[in-house]
Amino acid sequence: MNIYIAAKYPFLKEAKEFVRREEVSTEEILHDPLYQRARDLGMQRVNEAIERGMVGNYVTADETDALMTIFSYPIARMIVAGIGSDFLRSRYALAEAKRAYSSLIKEDNDFVSGMAKEFGIKVTDGLKIYFTDYLKNAPTWSEKWKLVNMPLKNGWVELKKVELARLIQENLRSRLYNELLDLRPPASIKKVFGDDVIRIKNLMQRKEMERKVEIGKASISKFPPCMRQLLAAAQSGVNIPHVGRFALVTFLHSIGMETDEILRLFSKSPDYNEERSRYQIEHITGKISGTEYKTPGCSSIKTWGLCPVEKMDDICRKVSHPLTYYRYKWRSKK
Amino acid sequence: MNDFLKKAFQSYYLKPEISFPERFSRREYAFIFWGEKQMVRHISFKRREELLSILRRRVPMHAYYSSAYYEKPDAPTMNEKNWMGADLIFDLDADHLPGAEKMDYGEMLKLVKKELQKLLSFLLDDFGFGEKNVEIYFSGGRGYHCHVKHPEVFQLGSQERREIVDYITGRGLDAKDIFGEKVVETKRYGEKVVPIKRLEMPRPDEPGWRGRISRAIIETVKEIRKGDKGIEKLMEYGISRTRAEKIMESLSDERIKRIEEGLLDQSPEIRRFFLKSAIDEVAVSLSTGKPDEPVTSDIKRLIRLPGSLHGKTGLRVQAVKIDEIEEFNPLDDAVVFGEDKVKVKVTRPFKIKMKGENFNLTPGEAEVPEYLAVFLAGRKIAEVK
Repeated sequence: MNIYIAAKYPFLKEAKEFVRREEVSTEEILHDPLYQRARDLGMQRVNEAIERGMVGNYVTADETDALMTIFSYPIARMIVAGIGSDFLRSRYALAEAKRAYSSLIKEDNDFVSGMAKEFGIKVTDGLKIYFTDYLKNAPTWSEKWKLVNMPLKNGWVELKKVELARLIQENLRSRLYNELLDLRPPASIKKVFGDDVIRIKNLMQRKEMERKVEIGKASISKFPPCMRQLLAAAQSGVNIPHVGRFALVTFLHSIGMETDEILRLFSKSPDYNEERSRYQIEHITGKISGTEYKTPGCSSIKTWGLCPVEKMDDICRKVSHPLTYYRYKWRSKK
Repeated sequence: MNDFLKKAFQSYYLKPEISFPERFSRREYAFIFWGEKQMVRHISFKRREELLSILRRRVPMHAYYSSAYYEKPDAPTMNEKNWMGADLIFDLDADHLPGAEKMDYGEMLKLVKKELQKLLSFLLDDFGFGEKNVEIYFSGGRGYHCHVKHPEVFQLGSQERREIVDYITGRGLDAKDIFGEKVVETKRYGEKVVPIKRLEMPRPDEPGWRGRISRAIIETVKEIRKGDKGIEKLMEYGISRTRAEKIMESLSDERIKRIEEGLLDQSPEIRRFFLKSAIDEVAVSLSTGKPDEPVTSDIKRLIRLPGSLHGKTGLRVQAVKIDEIEEFNPLDDAVVFGEDKVKVKVTRPFKIKMKGENFNLTPGEAEVPEYLAVFLAGRKIAEVK
């Protein structure tokens, strides 16, 4: 693999090989002036993940540039691991995965299928992948991605290049997030990136605090299991599928929450963007669009895979709508 | 009260034909005993002989094992069991089929068989499982169980299994994208170039649901044209008689040919009819509805032990080879009891064909073969002293 490709995809085995071949210790990477540029770029990766939700594509003019970009990746990971915030871990993993996707869709089919193989996705005959790998990586909560709408034959799903790239994005995101959980950063990280680490740590703490807002008059104990689960996911910064967000927003709106209150709940999400989220919420609640969307019923929620079947209780079995559940609980408490 | 049934079952369990599940000692087993409501579960066996011994000594009314295999199958809670993987199970049951409540037992089972064939077509053609990975069992009751045992499915989680169910039942199918517009020619009107579009249906050889819908539409068209039932069939889908007659009139040979060539530029009403009837034809009716039922997406469910007896029919949970499904007749092939005459008291009129013999029972005393007596007693149609 040439060094410029490795710089674009620094998480690949071959890219790690470039790092290994330099035969430098972690301490050297963190202290030697030779790697100052790599350290700057590493910090930049983390900052971009926080600020824009996506790591940038860096221009690599020559081999040294490329090598520094490759090195910046393990450095960024060490910084993220060193800060130890779960919000940052998910946000950074998503930001790297999105960057990889934006490059991947410009590659040819062979390259994309080659990368899928490196990630343990079974690929055959061009861009066909085995259905179990499809199910594990595709965002099947969205109708477009449901297996029923895909060309499945003899166990293989035929994909377009951008679709396979999207699956690789998801695979990379969860893989990277798990690696970050296990990564033990060297103690000197805090010395080298001292001020930045403190700044980001404070920023992350503030975000965590904001998340713990009261839900006003809404009473979580009366939520149906599906909404309780979605809310918990939103509050812990787990990336919720679009339909999940839609269901939760319509539900919270129906029980009387204001846009700002809903917004605060979502501020923990790794790809949170206040302006966009406000727009989405106001669109769904009818402030912008004029259409006030209704909370989906149980059958839609099940179709989208948002119904936690194992957590269903007796009230769930009696009702067919999350709001009915909520009202039922209100009534029965009185 | 159940003495007769229990004794009959006991005679079978002295020499039962059990097909033991693979990973035998990693499974959880569960039983319901005669006269008890509560299921006894969290049981595991090291050796097959131990299971046979329970069947022989305790004579259960129903016997089950877990589709999952565990590190500690006999641990009292699911967490402690430590899940290692699970077979993929499908239930097909007459209870869920429209119109089944009006049918007799034999007709009902035939109806389920049709669903079974559809399910198999999905599993073998679309999912690419080999016949050796798919096992079919008559449930002993009113349906069939299908077990998929393929190394790639063992680790699938609940969410992924639900996606497979949705595929097979057609849930979430994006129907609006099935038909696509295609520009077939352009016409010039002075300066203006107007594209002439035709609504195109998927090709019959396309993979997945698209090809299936296409094939089903062509089939439906042929069926409507072949017989004189076209109008009735259209009316089944909520089209009024006058409309249906008009549609049948308009389905000229020319139009039929166009449909077969993949062009569906018919009225929206006709399109809707063809699409809906095609989806109904293709989708499998699985038991996924009621929350208390074991479903495919449940990765910790119990399933009847192959070779055991169903407590409410006395029929055996019986393996059926894929190429023998057509001729399989549960009321013959899953019967284990003999011809010895038994005196019964029939409580309501009942007709059935069992072991090739027609029985037409009226309330009152009767003498019937043991196999029928067991069936009647199990279904509470007759009492045996």
